[in-house]
Amino acid sequence: MNKAALVFLIIVSAFGPPAHAQNTDANDIARQAEKTAFYQGEDGRARVSMQIIDKQGRTRSRDITILRKDEINDNSESGDQRFFVYFRAPSDVRDTVFLVWKHPQADDDRWLYLPALDLVRRIAAGDERSSFVGSDFFYEDVSGRSAEEDTHVVQDTTETYYILKSTPKDPNRVEFAYYISYIHKESYLPVQVEYYQSDHSKYREYTAEAVETIQGFPTVTRATMKDLADGGRTTLTYSDIHYDIDLSDDIFTERYLRNPPRQFFGEN
Amino acid sequence: MLWLSKAAAKRRKGFFVFSLAFAFILTTLALAPSVMPGALPFLKPLTIDTDPENMLPADATVRVRNGELKTVFDIYDFVVVGVLNETHPQGVFNAKDLANVKTLTDYAKTLSYEQRAGTFANVIASDIIAPSTVDNIETESLGAVSFTWLMKTAPSTDQEAALIRDRMLKIPMYKGTMISDDGAALALYYPLSEKSISHAVAQDLQELIDTFENTGAVYHITGLPVAEDRFGSEMFFQMAVSAPLAMLFVFGLLWLFFGHVRIILISLLAAMASVICTMALLVLSGQTIHIMSSMIPIFIIPIAVLDDIHILSDFYDKYTPERDRLEIVNEVMADLWRPMWYTTLTTAVGFASLMLTPIPPVQVFGLFVAIGVFVAWFFTVTLLPAYFMSLPDKALADFGALQTSERAIRDQSWLGRFLRTAGPFAGHRAKSIIVLSLALVVWAGIGIVNISVNDNPIKWFETSDQIRVADRIINEEFAGSYMAYLHLSSDSAVNDEPFKAPETLRYIAKMSADLEAESNVIGKVSGLYDIVSTVYRELYNDPAAYRIPDTRPAIAQTLLMYENSHRPDDIWTFVTPDFQDAVLWFQLKSGDNTDMAQVEKLVGDYLNRNPPPRTLASEWFGLTYINLVWQDEMVTGMLKAFLGSFIVVLILTSLLFRSLSWGIMAMIPLALTVATIYGAVGWAGMDYDMPTAVLSSLSLGLAVDYAIHFLARTREIFRRQQAWEPTLREMFEEPSRAISRNVIVVGVGFLPLLAANLVPYQTVGILISSILILAGAASLILLPALISVFQKPLFHRERITE
Repeated sequence: MNKAALVFLIIVSAFGPPAHAQNTDANDIARQAEKTAFYQGEDGRARVSMQIIDKQGRTRSRDITILRKDEINDNSESGDQRFFVYFRAPSDVRDTVFLVWKHPQADDDRWLYLPALDLVRRIAAGDERSSFVGSDFFYEDVSGRSAEEDTHVVQDTTETYYILKSTPKDPNRVEFAYYISYIHKESYLPVQVEYYQSDHSKYREYTAEAVETIQGFPTVTRATMKDLADGGRTTLTYSDIHYDIDLSDDIFTERYLRNPPRQFFGEN
Repeated sequence: MLWLSKAAAKRRKGFFVFSLAFAFILTTLALAPSVMPGALPFLKPLTIDTDPENMLPADATVRVRNGELKTVFDIYDFVVVGVLNETHPQGVFNAKDLANVKTLTDYAKTLSYEQRAGTFANVIASDIIAPSTVDNIETESLGAVSFTWLMKTAPSTDQEAALIRDRMLKIPMYKGTMISDDGAALALYYPLSEKSISHAVAQDLQELIDTFENTGAVYHITGLPVAEDRFGSEMFFQMAVSAPLAMLFVFGLLWLFFGHVRIILISLLAAMASVICTMALLVLSGQTIHIMSSMIPIFIIPIAVLDDIHILSDFYDKYTPERDRLEIVNEVMADLWRPMWYTTLTTAVGFASLMLTPIPPVQVFGLFVAIGVFVAWFFTVTLLPAYFMSLPDKALADFGALQTSERAIRDQSWLGRFLRTAGPFAGHRAKSIIVLSLALVVWAGIGIVNISVNDNPIKWFETSDQIRVADRIINEEFAGSYMAYLHLSSDSAVNDEPFKAPETLRYIAKMSADLEAESNVIGKVSGLYDIVSTVYRELYNDPAAYRIPDTRPAIAQTLLMYENSHRPDDIWTFVTPDFQDAVLWFQLKSGDNTDMAQVEKLVGDYLNRNPPPRTLASEWFGLTYINLVWQDEMVTGMLKAFLGSFIVVLILTSLLFRSLSWGIMAMIPLALTVATIYGAVGWAGMDYDMPTAVLSSLSLGLAVDYAIHFLARTREIFRRQQAWEPTLREMFEEPSRAISRNVIVVGVGFLPLLAANLVPYQTVGILISSILILAGAASLILLPALISVFQKPLFHRERITE
């Protein structure tokens, strides 16, 4: 484990006594981890600073605001979610919006609104493992991969982590052979995820580098995705995080693409 | 220096042991690090270097910039695989072939080779250009732009395969690069982290291809790195087979002239010892074996044999069992040591002059041939006398001219009779010969003016070689396999993202289109505008929208759209993330320097004629361009080296003859030979490449040799005869026979090189032979003619005043 994970360990261990019961059901661990990482609260917003650093150390920055809302059907969450990703900077992409309707059981709908062309276009990528706006994160890393898409096995349990090995049910839709996640026993947050090729070589690595508890929810506030093959990495730093801010459904429609709901964006 | 030969003749055993031990120790030391790595940590193992970048010193500006810019734009050298299928109506776009292409690409992704302990060089999987590794960009349905893998899995039917073809043809980035314009053939590009593994990659790919079921598809593997690397493995063969073969040929000819295998065996051994010691020294000095240094043996052999022939000839003429052998041997060496020492010096100077060129492999070559010349001299003047002394009388029965009494007076061999009849003719028709020579110089001058300085590593292979065939086919079907890169940068100090400006992108797009139309060599130019225009077209689902958007934000947002694809980083192979620097990829159909030079000029002119909307600095890089740079440096470098050594050799010959006019005389056959050879190269339309260039040094060494021997003997005879006519007649007895034997042995001895399957060796073979024959002829014909005309002033010192 790296230093960042250690920092996380210290932060998390401050929250309370260790788990009294050991979870042995891999699928349950995976589902809980997915829920903790992507479904905290009913809705929320965050300001995200994205630093894309290539192997030469050249940095490109993006400043975005993400609004998220979970879909409620008959008082229960279906797993469907909506995201409104608003670009603040750099200036030539300001006001660009990335809109997502996530369907865990089907292909997600993704739109990009390009203000300079006043054009809304759906992005069809065949899979969800294309780049998220040029970063080392895949689209799926940001929207959340459903626990149901993989077969999970508990590979090891340490004092702090469940170590899960997850193998895709449909290998044709992904580029990895399997991935290993270190899920914190107490909070169920995935702290590190390593992606492997069929020859067991690790080529991507996600690390949660900072975690805070916000409104009672353990929340990752800084995360890095490393592309070990090409030497690049992207760091997302979250700030101004708020949960349960009462977003209405219509925000996540084409109407708001041209008139972003700035009242929900928080501080400037 | 004569004491050396005398000592050798006296203490022959000691000299044999010393020479053997010397050669053995050097060889052992040279081979040790290769055979037992690590045993002698201060020695470097034998390394083959085929990287033409090394034609320039590692700190040469163009190389340093090339390395930097390749890093900046993430550009790699690659192996290209062309796939064609002429038996299938859809070409390679059928289910079976595409499945094989996918298998091949999946396999290529895994290729990795340990280079030095712990470091690996591999195929850069994420940058491979193949159907299974790139995105199809198209409008999927109304309002949706799709970035799906072009060929995630192999198609199951030929119809699906045709669909993949149609998609590829619609994407300008792929057309002409990955798919042939007629939609029948595929080219796959496998980038390498280090180009030294290209030969291994090509071999591994070929092995897999050989296991494919025969579908009628043909796979051609090429790319500059493959050619360069294969050249390295061929070099071993050349050194191990061609050079010894040439030596055997020389041996056969010596046997023909002197009979007596046992006697001439020593000259073979002396030549071999010289080659082995020189090569061992080369390896020990830590130098790599480059294309130039691999030719060192081929250059040392004739030089070593040359002196041997003089000694053998003289010994042959003087030997008689009646006299004391040591006396004869000492006499032979006394006759010859001075001209031999001087010819050794002049030859060494000729080669050492190559150190004035700015090209490291040529410098190493020059230095070590010069060293080899001294080594050969040493072995010749010690081993030959020692060996003659140790031969039993029986072995020398009926050896030598004096033992066949008739021959002692007049050599009746065909060569002797020919020289006797034809020789004096040169003295009698002096004026016509001089006029003819001047005409030859004029003819050569015209040829030299038209000489084309050109090199292309692919052309080091014969036309029928599979690499040449693959290269031809790929460059016929596709935009071109030779890459040259044009780096454009704004000289403005403020970062204002010039390459995100519509006017700049439009200018570059138009320039690319104009250049493609204007030049036959430029197959295709790729740049950022390709991505922008293609995505913009798909945003509007309208072929007419294939253009650069009107505003900076529009361009930025079009690119942002593309960044949601599977290969967003392709953008950064065309532009830096700060949009301050851009690069254009030129695919050229030929790697000839002349073609690259033409492209460089064309682009320069274009930028001058059509000034860009803002000032842009331009700079070329890439292997094809580096080749051009070192070629240019070589031409001027060689000229400088040749002129420099010409002057030094002139001083040496003037010192030897103690006369400037005789010194100049000695240089004339050489000047004529060099002029004629390069004139002929120009007239024949042969390329003046590196091997051709260094041959001027060989001419310098050898042609002067003949002239020195000829002139020295002429003066000596004149001193005795005191008249030109009898001197001329006598010159065409023994002295010209020795020169002619030399010409024939060494000249013909190098013809086996024509059997080599690498063109530079063939060139060297044919040119060495021509140089020797020409230099010999020039010495035997032009020198007597010139002496006839200028005999008065020339012989003023020889004449005994009444």
